[in-house]
Amino acid sequence: MKRLTKLVAGAAAIALATAGCAGSGGGSSDSSGSGDKTLTVWLMSGSAPDTLTDALNKEFEAANSGVTVKYEVQEWGGIQDKLTTALASQDPPDVIELGNTLTPSFSADGVLTDLSGDVADLNGDQWLASLKQSGEWDGKDYATPFYAANRVVLYRTDMFQQAGITATPTSRQEWLDAITKLKATFGSDPQFQPLYLPGQNWYSLLSFIYDEGGNIAEKDGKEFKATVNSPEAKAGLEFYKQLVDASGTTAPKDNDEQNPEQAGIYGQGKVAMMIALPWEVGTAAKDNPDIEKNTSAFPIPSKTAGKTAPVFQGGSNLAIPVNSKNPELAKAYLKLLLSDKYQSQLAEAGMVPGASTDLSALDANPVSKAMAAASKSGNAAPATPKWGTVEAGQNPLKDMMTAYLTGAKDLDTATNDANTALDAAFSG
Amino acid sequence: MTATVHTAVPAGTTPPAPPRAPRRRVLNLGEKTIPYLLLAPAVLVMVVLLGWPAIQVIGISFRKLDLGELVRGEIVWVGLDNYTSVLAEPEFWTITLRTVLFTAAVVAGTILAGLLIALLMRHLSKSVRVAVQVTLVLAWATPILAATTVYQWIFDQQYGILNKTLVKLGFDSFQGFSWFSSGASTLTVIGILIVWQAVPFVCFTMYAGLLQAPQELYEASAIDGASSWQSFTTVSWPAIRPLVTLTTFLSVIWDFKVFAQVWAMKQGGPDGESTTLPLLMYLRGIAGRHFGVASAVAVLMIIVLLALTARYLQLLLRTREADIS
Amino acid sequence: MKKTRGQRIALNTVGVLVALVFAFPTYWLFSSAFKPSTLMLTPDYDLFPTSLTLDNFVSAWNKPGFLTHLTNSLIVTVGAVLCSLVAGVLAAFPLARLRFRGRKGFLLLVLIAQMAPLEALLIPMFLLMQDAGLLNKLPSLLLVYFAVTLPFTVWTLRGFVQGIPYELEEAAMVDGLGRFGAFRRVVLPLLGPGIVATSVFAFITAWNEFLYALVFMRDNDKQTLPVWLSTFRTVFGTDWGGITAASVMYALPALVFFLIVQRKLVSGATAGALKG
Repeated sequence: MKRLTKLVAGAAAIALATAGCAGSGGGSSDSSGSGDKTLTVWLMSGSAPDTLTDALNKEFEAANSGVTVKYEVQEWGGIQDKLTTALASQDPPDVIELGNTLTPSFSADGVLTDLSGDVADLNGDQWLASLKQSGEWDGKDYATPFYAANRVVLYRTDMFQQAGITATPTSRQEWLDAITKLKATFGSDPQFQPLYLPGQNWYSLLSFIYDEGGNIAEKDGKEFKATVNSPEAKAGLEFYKQLVDASGTTAPKDNDEQNPEQAGIYGQGKVAMMIALPWEVGTAAKDNPDIEKNTSAFPIPSKTAGKTAPVFQGGSNLAIPVNSKNPELAKAYLKLLLSDKYQSQLAEAGMVPGASTDLSALDANPVSKAMAAASKSGNAAPATPKWGTVEAGQNPLKDMMTAYLTGAKDLDTATNDANTALDAAFSG
Repeated sequence: MTATVHTAVPAGTTPPAPPRAPRRRVLNLGEKTIPYLLLAPAVLVMVVLLGWPAIQVIGISFRKLDLGELVRGEIVWVGLDNYTSVLAEPEFWTITLRTVLFTAAVVAGTILAGLLIALLMRHLSKSVRVAVQVTLVLAWATPILAATTVYQWIFDQQYGILNKTLVKLGFDSFQGFSWFSSGASTLTVIGILIVWQAVPFVCFTMYAGLLQAPQELYEASAIDGASSWQSFTTVSWPAIRPLVTLTTFLSVIWDFKVFAQVWAMKQGGPDGESTTLPLLMYLRGIAGRHFGVASAVAVLMIIVLLALTARYLQLLLRTREADIS
Repeated sequence: MKKTRGQRIALNTVGVLVALVFAFPTYWLFSSAFKPSTLMLTPDYDLFPTSLTLDNFVSAWNKPGFLTHLTNSLIVTVGAVLCSLVAGVLAAFPLARLRFRGRKGFLLLVLIAQMAPLEALLIPMFLLMQDAGLLNKLPSLLLVYFAVTLPFTVWTLRGFVQGIPYELEEAAMVDGLGRFGAFRRVVLPLLGPGIVATSVFAFITAWNEFLYALVFMRDNDKQTLPVWLSTFRTVFGTDWGGITAASVMYALPALVFFLIVQRKLVSGATAGALKG
């Protein structure tokens, strides 16, 4: 080992007179002192509308003289690599947005500023529970909620009318009945699908599992244990299959809702329902503007009549890197962004605000209204540092769904295999 | 310029002698330093920009380097821990074997197709040849993201043009056939994609090599009444032999390291059955930001590659002057 | 060598078939680019598009920054190709033709340099560029692409030099041209096709690189085309119409580059023919 160290050191000296030691980051040099400061803010593409951020940055600069906000929109592709290197660099951003599945691993690595003492200042009493969980690690708050979104059932009002469905389904049984009626009315067209549901839409599966009272993992002390082979989870998976079979959907069983993109299929006008995020209407309407007029939404129905199924909540957190040079300014910026004024603007843009319980702005649009109605009971992904890898990589839930739906594995084998794989991922 | 070339060419039209070493000449001091001067820019760039980072990767492979350590600039030595954790995985050897077989199949397909098309190109009329060349360049220049997506569409279970065409041709069993239901068929599709993108380079290289062979040698062999095969073995093959070895070697290295296409197609699924070593590096190391583990996998990959190419390297080291020309 | 008419027709038919097979995925990309994006995947049989639209190109063109990113991509790519060719030709000659101490060591270095997975080198490279003060500057990318394509260029050009019969050089030296004169007058012209093949390769490698561009270039206006292309994928879904159209726009410069240098391939052939 010593020789190797020497080798590394020797090569360093030869190769680069200026080289620092291998793999050491920056963050030590501090540009503190008086005068002008720059606050670098990284939000993700598609998060907050430009009108919001323009107003926000202007207000912040006006309130803090001598401070310039350097606002940079980041793309999702490759963001992990970009954040990793940026956080290790000499001038890290001061405020960052993190996908909520990524947040626990950043907290666990100790690269985020502890915000526990500032929660109250940051509208903490109104935080969305599922996103608050994502930002917690070891009893401390390292990230605040930003916004969330959840899936609803988008449906064609004109088709429902023609099929004689007068009220939107409020229970699983009514949902299945609606599928039967739609089939009876439009079934003569071989391309018609009452419900488009690809085999690997695991976000929807999670909803069904929550509805049965189960989950995919439980916290056991600090660790997570997979519970995909619990009776509740199995029941959820069975209902998924029931939906697929009842609808006779021709969506691929071995792929998710993005391949092929389901909004594109819906946009072709031969699909009566799909489980989707509200903004997918816009994607579908791009080439078929009429479809937007004829589309509305209802929350995913529960097995209990009159309730809505708990939803899977995806979303984003906000955090301050631990080596930010302006942590106090960054906190002030978060405070402004999480204030009611800007949170309600987020809601107007069609997101579930992370730090405000006021969802009234979402009611203006029937699709967002359905999302808001369903958002009251929801869960996020297990708050373990390992989940980000599971979701980005080889998600055992997807393999499980395909195996069960295609009949390659029976219910017990499929769920047991997935359970083992998830446990391996949690401990790995 | 051409006039000089013209006079410089030996008048004889005999088939070429096998490559021969230059005669030993006494070099003076000035000439002795010339090779080093000529190499200097390349050496400098490779040592600073590839060698130095590569040495760091070896160093990092013996350290725990997660995001936290990276940001805080900590150096935590863990000895062989990263290696043992990777090697202890039951799947490691399966994945290694799969990667080697996959590489072998893709390289064989690429070299064979590239060579055949290059030989064919010599005999095409100009318009057809340019058409072939343009399609090759387009295949090559298509961005990886777009190419992978297009392949996913073509092979799509329900809406893919391939299944639709097969059904139209009367193969009804392809209605809703899933090309991605097993690791083997997924890797086949990925392999086709990679060969499609890799053939252009191999083909252009070999075609360029064929053009380099002086034309009169072909004519001479034709006058001698040689068959196509004979003119291939006596004229074409000597001209491109170093290039065939070279492109094979390079293809082995590249195809072994392919990440983007394998990942984008199915993320190594279903059930991890199309996972290759670069994906393992990504899954275990980079995605979870365990750069020590990622570096250990990278070092292991280099070791496997060295083993695969050992024979070639051996030849290179053993032969003395014969390999110069 | 002379083929009968029948043989020529047969060979050209095979050639056309090869072109068709290779063109198909590209054709599919192009035809998708002209389809309305809801029809990218449809249950209908659509080997030939039924409705054409330029909407995708309009939306890709209107996406901010295409020209800026195109310029950036051209600067780093062409710069890297030129650097790599100059250093490559300089190194290929002694490696193929001269004997000197350290030659094999250098060859090994070149070989092994290509084996390291680029993803694993990212962090050391990033820190190196940070120490050199080059982050967020185009030269950092140019240098990386130069370094990444160089081993390949050296190695391939050496192969091409080896493919040139040594007798040609010898004869020139006998004619009093000297070793380097012979290289310049005889080898270099014959190397044309090899230079074309390697430069196209280097061009496309640099043109396609995504990860380093994303990480090194912090400012959006310094990004290259692959990063621009990735912006068509957002949380709101993927703009497939935009991606297909953008991919066509993105592949065109590489094609143009090839068509420019492709004449060299032909002139290389003529140079060969002239010697008869």
